[in-house]
Amino acid sequence: MADFGTIDQLGSALTFHRERHAVLAGNIANLDTPGYKPMDLERKDGGELVTTFQDGGAQQGPDGNAVTLERELAKIDANRTRYAANSELVTRQLAMLRYAAGDGT
Amino acid sequence: MDFFSAMEVSASGLAAERTRMNVAASNLANAQTTQTAEGGPYKRKSVVLQSVELTGTEKTTDGQAVSGVKVQQIAADNAAPRMEYDPGHPQANAQGYVAYPNVNPVEEMVDMITASRAYEAGVTAMSTAVNMAQSALGIGK
Repeated sequence: MADFGTIDQLGSALTFHRERHAVLAGNIANLDTPGYKPMDLERKDGGELVTTFQDGGAQQGPDGNAVTLERELAKIDANRTRYAANSELVTRQLAMLRYAAGDGT
Repeated sequence: MDFFSAMEVSASGLAAERTRMNVAASNLANAQTTQTAEGGPYKRKSVVLQSVELTGTEKTTDGQAVSGVKVQQIAADNAAPRMEYDPGHPQANAQGYVAYPNVNPVEEMVDMITASRAYEAGVTAMSTAVNMAQSALGIGK
């Protein structure tokens, strides 16, 4: 149904951001692992295509680890904000539907 | 995949950093230990980390596993001991030198600070997961 289409899309965005957080948390966990390259998750075609890719690695330490702490924390924070925004949008969509389904009070 | 996967990943990182902290503390505590069970002075220990796919965590939508971290081994540093001239010491050799551990306290302090900062970063990542879960729980309120 069309009215729930938006909520479904927002829901898949929430799933994506949750998964992306796990991937980014893995980068933080591997902050000191020799040879580790940071990973990231991206979303294309309106959220249809989700792919994991290796991100960064330009600045590589002597142990081959390419994680930049600030970069990863910034990504984590931006991702969290997007998640919060999406869940807020779901709340408002549901509120609108509730209003429409009610008797207008 | 659920939020617990992200938290498990962060937890593996925290455990690894805690191990690094323990090992640095052990190195500092034994900086002057000239006698060990295996003979000779204490040898500096270092933590070898390895990234792993955690069992029990779910995969991302494209089927990729998220990587946590584990302590692969705690390796002994086989660098030569520090020789100090102290002929009165019970462990002095024929030339009057005592073998002290190959521990450099400055290096250990740097290691401790690094581990502590990495731990903080892991805590931040974990509390972000909690924060996200809370905003999900707010849906429909």
